[in-house]
Amino acid sequence: MIRHIARKEFTDVMRDGRFRWSSILVGALLLVSLAHGWDQTRKARQEHAAAQATAREHWDTQGEKNPHSAAHYGIYAFKPRLALSFVDEGVDPYTGTSVWLEAHRQNDFLLRPAQDATAAQRIGALTAAQVLQHLLPLLIILLTFAAFAGERERGTLRQLLATGVGRRELATGKALGIAGALSLLLAPAALVGAAALVVANPGPAASPLARAAVLAGVYLAYFTAFLALSLAVSAWARSARTALVVLLTVWVVNGLVAPRVAVDLSKRLHPTPSALEFARTVEQEMAASVEGISRPDRDESTRRLLAEYGVESVEDLPINAVGVYLQESEEFGNRIFDRNYGALWDAFERQGVVHETLAVAAPLLAVRTLSMGLAGTDVEQHRHFASAAETYRRDLMRRMNGDMTENSLTGDFTYTVGAEVWEAVPSLQYAAPTLGWVLGNRGLSLAVLGAWLVGAILAAAVRVRRAEVG
Amino acid sequence: MAARTILRNEWRLLMADRPLKIVLGLFVVLLGYALTNGVVWLRFQERTVQATQTGNAERIHAFGQELEAIENGAEPSSPFADPRSPLVLGGPSGSHTAVLEPGPLTALAVGQSDLLPYYYDVNVYTNESSFHQNGEVENPLNLMVGRFDLTFVAVYLLPLLVLALSFNVLSEEREQGTLALTLSQPVSARTVVAVKLAFRAFLVAGMVLAVSLLGALATGGFGSPGRLLLWSATIVTYALFWFVLAAWVNTLRRSSAWNATVLVGAWLVLVVVLPAALNAAASLLHPLPSRVEMITAQREASNDAVNRRSELLARYLEDHPEMAEGVVADEPGLGALSWAATDAVNRRLEEVTAEHDARRDDQIALVRRYRFLSPAILAQEALLDAAGTGDARFADFQFQVRAFAEQWREFFVPAILAGEEMSARVLPDLPRFRLKDEEPAEVARRATVPLAALGGLLVLVSTGAGIGLGRVRGAD
Repeated sequence: MIRHIARKEFTDVMRDGRFRWSSILVGALLLVSLAHGWDQTRKARQEHAAAQATAREHWDTQGEKNPHSAAHYGIYAFKPRLALSFVDEGVDPYTGTSVWLEAHRQNDFLLRPAQDATAAQRIGALTAAQVLQHLLPLLIILLTFAAFAGERERGTLRQLLATGVGRRELATGKALGIAGALSLLLAPAALVGAAALVVANPGPAASPLARAAVLAGVYLAYFTAFLALSLAVSAWARSARTALVVLLTVWVVNGLVAPRVAVDLSKRLHPTPSALEFARTVEQEMAASVEGISRPDRDESTRRLLAEYGVESVEDLPINAVGVYLQESEEFGNRIFDRNYGALWDAFERQGVVHETLAVAAPLLAVRTLSMGLAGTDVEQHRHFASAAETYRRDLMRRMNGDMTENSLTGDFTYTVGAEVWEAVPSLQYAAPTLGWVLGNRGLSLAVLGAWLVGAILAAAVRVRRAEVG
Repeated sequence: MAARTILRNEWRLLMADRPLKIVLGLFVVLLGYALTNGVVWLRFQERTVQATQTGNAERIHAFGQELEAIENGAEPSSPFADPRSPLVLGGPSGSHTAVLEPGPLTALAVGQSDLLPYYYDVNVYTNESSFHQNGEVENPLNLMVGRFDLTFVAVYLLPLLVLALSFNVLSEEREQGTLALTLSQPVSARTVVAVKLAFRAFLVAGMVLAVSLLGALATGGFGSPGRLLLWSATIVTYALFWFVLAAWVNTLRRSSAWNATVLVGAWLVLVVVLPAALNAAASLLHPLPSRVEMITAQREASNDAVNRRSELLARYLEDHPEMAEGVVADEPGLGALSWAATDAVNRRLEEVTAEHDARRDDQIALVRRYRFLSPAILAQEALLDAAGTGDARFADFQFQVRAFAEQWREFFVPAILAGEEMSARVLPDLPRFRLKDEEPAEVARRATVPLAALGGLLVLVSTGAGIGLGRVRGAD
């Protein structure tokens, strides 16, 4: 019986010109955005790889100089594009793409692509994720709003039920029919996406195919929840028009209002310092000691070294005392940076939790969080790369200061080294976080999306059972 | 007379319609939330602007005290930070912060002010790369989504309210059978619909404008009456566009449900899909060049410059005789040598950025051609321009800071080249950045394009609606 209803619903949908045209539109947008995203990602990846190679070459060929001069010269790191970022570019346009790793300070990531664009380009980027998160639910609403309310208005619901069809069977059949029609649109897009993923060099994302599979699952859950919710509303509403108005309101709140409400709410609940305050705090803390982090004292450092090596004056030290002091200052600075940047990233994370929590009112927020997380384009994975780059910087500085300490004497400013020292420094090898890491961070969104899925199906079941016949 | 009767009836209908009153109440709540968000952001920026100005004064004061102490025989606090050196007094520790005051109506439109930098520390080392900084500390996620400000409510949500109020302005009368009765009176369909919609437009635009004016009143926006006028004109034109569009659809003699579907579809296409599709088309057809290569170029230029400092200095002195009074190129000091290298890097960087900026401007010019297709993009552009938080004002600010940086260099570079020392006497003459904010006429001229285009769209739908209404008969 369910098969008959599903087939009838499927045929209805396929014959409906409105569905044909809107799905052709949505399907075209989906394919274009996938192709465009793939192309962009490929270009960006090539560009970043080339820039990274040149940066390394600059480091290797910087010539003879003191290791500390080399530390000041530093090296640039470029943020890699992960394999799935062509599906969802996430916050990438709003984070910097490169960072200068130099002595004494942790720099910010610079060059945000969005700063080069215009205000109009900010109001909507067309990515596959945007199409899936915004337009697909709309299509589902348009297909489903009249499922019960329309039949009731036409008086065919009474007839149908009189033939002995169970309400649950009827609802399941209708849902399957609509899902079948939608799958004609989604399956090719998923295949194209999967093919693009396999063809593209998957890049540094750990397990891109597993991420893609979970991503597909997340979107499937989102669509199912929307389908069930639409059926529930259609069964509950007096008229098809009421069902449509209610569902469109849900769509507007879900896609437009709630995400922006979350922005300002998160800023008020977890304020971040101004750039000026932040820079000043770091500067002040670097100049003096703060709570348990004491600034190294040069004389004290020298005294300790003299005692350690049992010599009278710095000239007698077998090592360079300046190198030791530079490393101590470096470690002091690192603690100050960890303290300040750590607090800032934590504030961003708490703001992110506000967005995730509001998903209770708007499932889009949960799906968006998961989608960006799986694509590797969320704030947390930007932080992950930023930390990797900073760890690399600290290691680089330790090597340079170590070389100076061990191979030169205090006061020897003529000491220089060359390519053999630069080339011995390993390149920055970034390992993108695993799928487990991503999902572990996203427990809240997974739970809320799950709750929406279960809640919507239950609501549909209850509403269909109680649906008035006419 | 007829108009007054219709108005009175409209008022009664509104008072009797509870769901409508709830929707209107909700809209006011959203407007209030949006306004407070804008005000909070404006206050935040104002505090930062204040702090940059205090910072400027404090730096000069500290240098003044130290310079006087040195003149009286004291030692500089550090040999590397001797304020007598023009590379210190005019360098990073002596920077002057050039700041763009928040746009007069920032409380109404956050616009680009959360993304683009609104202050720069200017010193002798300021170059093109100094303009590629991050601006305010902001969660990238929040930047991606955008703020819930009055502009958002006006561009996205206002049309929905307008459509909810007008999708059945004529079709309902027809469905209830009251149309024939109404038109049997000595009144035309045009008048009936015009008065009904005028009443609703007055209501909706009035609410948005009242909250906008309240915001302007609270944050000193009345200091720029021209901008406020432009803001109001845009809101009214945009709202009217949607009302008239609804009237036009109503003349097609379909059911209220059909009207609602078509109008929501129009909103969806014009406000949501079209801007996104236009952006996609733009980046597909005219991709924005990446800045990544800029870093490489800067690096290569500075490597090269360091190795050829003497040669570069000679060339610099040839190119800039005005900077080099009293300098003998044969025995240049360390400061002069390093300045020559710095200058060479700056020139190379200017070349690279000029090339990039030209491509960027081309791309943007092409993208901006498409904006005429979407009233939402037009309205957003005009609203941001009115508020002073659009791209143009930030570009103008950057332009002025470039000129100021040149002025700053002109002040210090001769001393750097000559190896001269600075004293406390030069402090009162230090260049200070004074923003020359856009003239109202300039803003008006720029905003004419989107506003006229929006007006054109309004005229287009008005013509359609006018013709359609002329054909409405009571017997339909």
